[in-house]
Amino acid sequence: MTAFLDVVIGGVFHAAVLFLVAAGLQLVFGVQKIVNLACGSFYALGAYFGISAVSWCLARGMPPAYFLPVLIVAGILVGLIGPFIEALLLTVYQRDEAFQLLLTFALVLMFQDVLRFFWGADPQQLGDLVMTYGRVKVGALQVPTYNLLVIAASVVIAAGLGAFLQKTRFGRILRATAENREMSLALGVNVRWVYASVFTLGTMLGTVGGALVVPTAAASLDMPVELVVEAFAVVVIGGLGSMRGALAGALVVGLLRAAAISWYSELEMLAIYLVVIGVLVLRPGGLFGRPLE
Amino acid sequence: MSALVEAIGVGKRYGDFAALDGVSLAIEAGELVSIVGPNGAGKTTLVNLLTGLVPPTSGQVRFKGEDIAGIGPVMLAKRGMARAFQLVHIFPELTVAQTLAVAVVSQSSKALRFFTAVADDAAVNSRVREVAAIFGLEGKLGTPSRLLSQGEKKLLDIASAFALSPEVILLDEPTSGVSSADKHGLMKNVVDAARRAGVRSIILVEHDMDLVAEYSTRIVAIQAGRILADRAPAEFFSDPGIVAAIVGKRPPRMPPGAS
Amino acid sequence: MRIAAALVALAAVAVLPNVLSPYHVTLVLPALAYSIALLGFNLLFGYTGLLSFGHALFVAIGGYGAAVLSSKLGLRSFEAILALSAGASVAVAIPIGLLAVRYVKIFFGILTLAFGMLFHSFLFKFYDLTGGDTGIRVLRPSLLGRAYEDLDKTTWLVGPFYYYCVALLAILAFVMWRLVHSPFGLHLVATRENRRKAEYLGVRVRFFRLIAFSISAFYGAIGGAILAVNTGQADPELAYWTHSGELVFMTVLGGFGNFFGPVVGAFSFIFLKDQLVGLTQYWRFWLGAILILLVVLFPRGLSGLTERMWARLHRSTPS
Repeated sequence: MTAFLDVVIGGVFHAAVLFLVAAGLQLVFGVQKIVNLACGSFYALGAYFGISAVSWCLARGMPPAYFLPVLIVAGILVGLIGPFIEALLLTVYQRDEAFQLLLTFALVLMFQDVLRFFWGADPQQLGDLVMTYGRVKVGALQVPTYNLLVIAASVVIAAGLGAFLQKTRFGRILRATAENREMSLALGVNVRWVYASVFTLGTMLGTVGGALVVPTAAASLDMPVELVVEAFAVVVIGGLGSMRGALAGALVVGLLRAAAISWYSELEMLAIYLVVIGVLVLRPGGLFGRPLE
Repeated sequence: MSALVEAIGVGKRYGDFAALDGVSLAIEAGELVSIVGPNGAGKTTLVNLLTGLVPPTSGQVRFKGEDIAGIGPVMLAKRGMARAFQLVHIFPELTVAQTLAVAVVSQSSKALRFFTAVADDAAVNSRVREVAAIFGLEGKLGTPSRLLSQGEKKLLDIASAFALSPEVILLDEPTSGVSSADKHGLMKNVVDAARRAGVRSIILVEHDMDLVAEYSTRIVAIQAGRILADRAPAEFFSDPGIVAAIVGKRPPRMPPGAS
Repeated sequence: MRIAAALVALAAVAVLPNVLSPYHVTLVLPALAYSIALLGFNLLFGYTGLLSFGHALFVAIGGYGAAVLSSKLGLRSFEAILALSAGASVAVAIPIGLLAVRYVKIFFGILTLAFGMLFHSFLFKFYDLTGGDTGIRVLRPSLLGRAYEDLDKTTWLVGPFYYYCVALLAILAFVMWRLVHSPFGLHLVATRENRRKAEYLGVRVRFFRLIAFSISAFYGAIGGAILAVNTGQADPELAYWTHSGELVFMTVLGGFGNFFGPVVGAFSFIFLKDQLVGLTQYWRFWLGAILILLVVLFPRGLSGLTERMWARLHRSTPS
């Protein structure tokens, strides 16, 4: 029972972080129809920047208990590169999807060295800082409170995003532009602004996700390329363009990964790819997406 | 004589909505059957059924005696029916010659030849030139399709359907987008070409009643998912009820000798 | 005209060992390998319009095929190794293709990426079978029955092996040329240009895409085998998705709208990367920047550029 709970909580934690990145991906794809291969790079950027921000604050005498808000703020701050990247993507909007993929792939390459330039080739981490919030007893398990806080934060963000998309005016505009760009333009929507905002929001979700993960995992140069595959798995399983899909997909991938690591570690990513392929065969649109071709 | 193309009691429902209901239609060799009716009446659905694009929810659709429910465009072409669309479809980067060659080659056994150059195939080339000439496109054989004028693209679209050497050809509003002056010329070309090429029947979907009156051997009017009338032109246009429902108050110009 | 230029280039490549230092010649070998792999890739991308982000899968199959056959099964004939690896690659491509050709654009890309990473994961994790992250050694094969035991590794690589690969490239390029100019090739291009219309003109779109996919796998594996023999090792990174990304990069660099583009791209990329690596440790950054320039300003790649310059030259000279 304890082992099972361990897997579930670990899986949900991983899912919480994955959801943030996937939500960012889905937003950008849903509205702008761009698949951002650099989502992993943003994630890593958030992670590295988060570590730097926290270290900087701690060195200036900040009490360790404040590191969580610092991480969130750091994530949001570094997400502000969004508009600049989006301006670059402008050049390939109306062109073939292949070029969009290639452009974001180029960003992956460039970010790889940007990260290395600022933070070096060795993995970075925050040591035991995660223990600052202590542990909580769940059943027979001792779970770091931080993990539960992250899960809670992710749930709040998910709910907030949902409310934002459904209830606010801007959210409606977003969904309208996603459905039909020309129509929105004709109705006087400033599509340029919508695109820039959406992309920035998507970027921030990724950077915040990365920042939140660093107390529990090291930031390394492998992050960008490794996360992409998991994020894509989430998005495919959940259905491209769907927020609910991001949630469902993240849970599936997070739990699957935790289960695989726990029981048969060779299978780890393999299991996930098999599920991706299985979903694509049986339900091509993903769990919540729209059908293709 | 069994009909070339038949719809037997076909119906098509989308949920609660019956796009077509109890439609029976037979098209024999040598006919040019026009399908007319207001938009939303079910013409498109009927055409999609007759061309095997969608299966009927009830009834049968047959081509040359064989069931073609939902067989799809590729099999349809193989069996000998071609369809040309209202909206122009082209291969932007392919030349006129190449576009026609695609059709010619797919119908021959050569489609899976991996090693022979298409450009060197004399049989293919002569057929391509033949079809191009029928439609007046022989001067543009080397032009990429995207550089053609809208009218030429339309011609190419119809020509490529012809290049399939079909037994039955379905033309979906072939003169839409063509100037009034050119409409008759185009229709005449197409009908003559069909005759020469060995096309056995033509199914025409048209809004222009003058053309329908002049070229059809039979007119089928669809209204609200049902067949309103299925008559030869003379009877069709002499019935004021039908004319009012489909055409409006003024009957079209009838060709001399009819009525 | 282009064929003449290509033949000249081929002759030039053939005599390179006499002109360049062994170091540079050993750079040309991967360029030859990638040229072959990319000719296959471009059949799928440039001609059929399908962007695969998992082509590295087939390159890896070729590499590991060479490794397993030579060091684990003792097979030394390069012809047999090529045939078996390419065969395995096609065998893998068919079920994947059956699945993947139902989709287009981004979904095809994601699906192929998933399959590539699936293989990578397998190679990485199943240490006992695959050697894990170290991979498997590739032993020197015999070429047309000759083992050349008296030659040391480098001499063999820049000698018999080099000429063998040039010949292989020439033969495979010739085959691909005939392919793309055949009725089959025409149908592929038609499916790229307008899938619906192609169907209405009787083209069996999915079937042809599957064939193109399988052929690309064949070429990819041969390229992979050459790569692995060159380095002496087959490792999982051959299958990683970023390797697939590099393959796309090379193709776009050379120009995917042109038959020779992939070959131009392979050579250019290898030399570009070599120069950059020598100049700075942040070569990935510059490579990425170049890719951005390419996508934004020169989408038709280097061969597109030369075509434009050629056209301008012809227009400005009096006829």
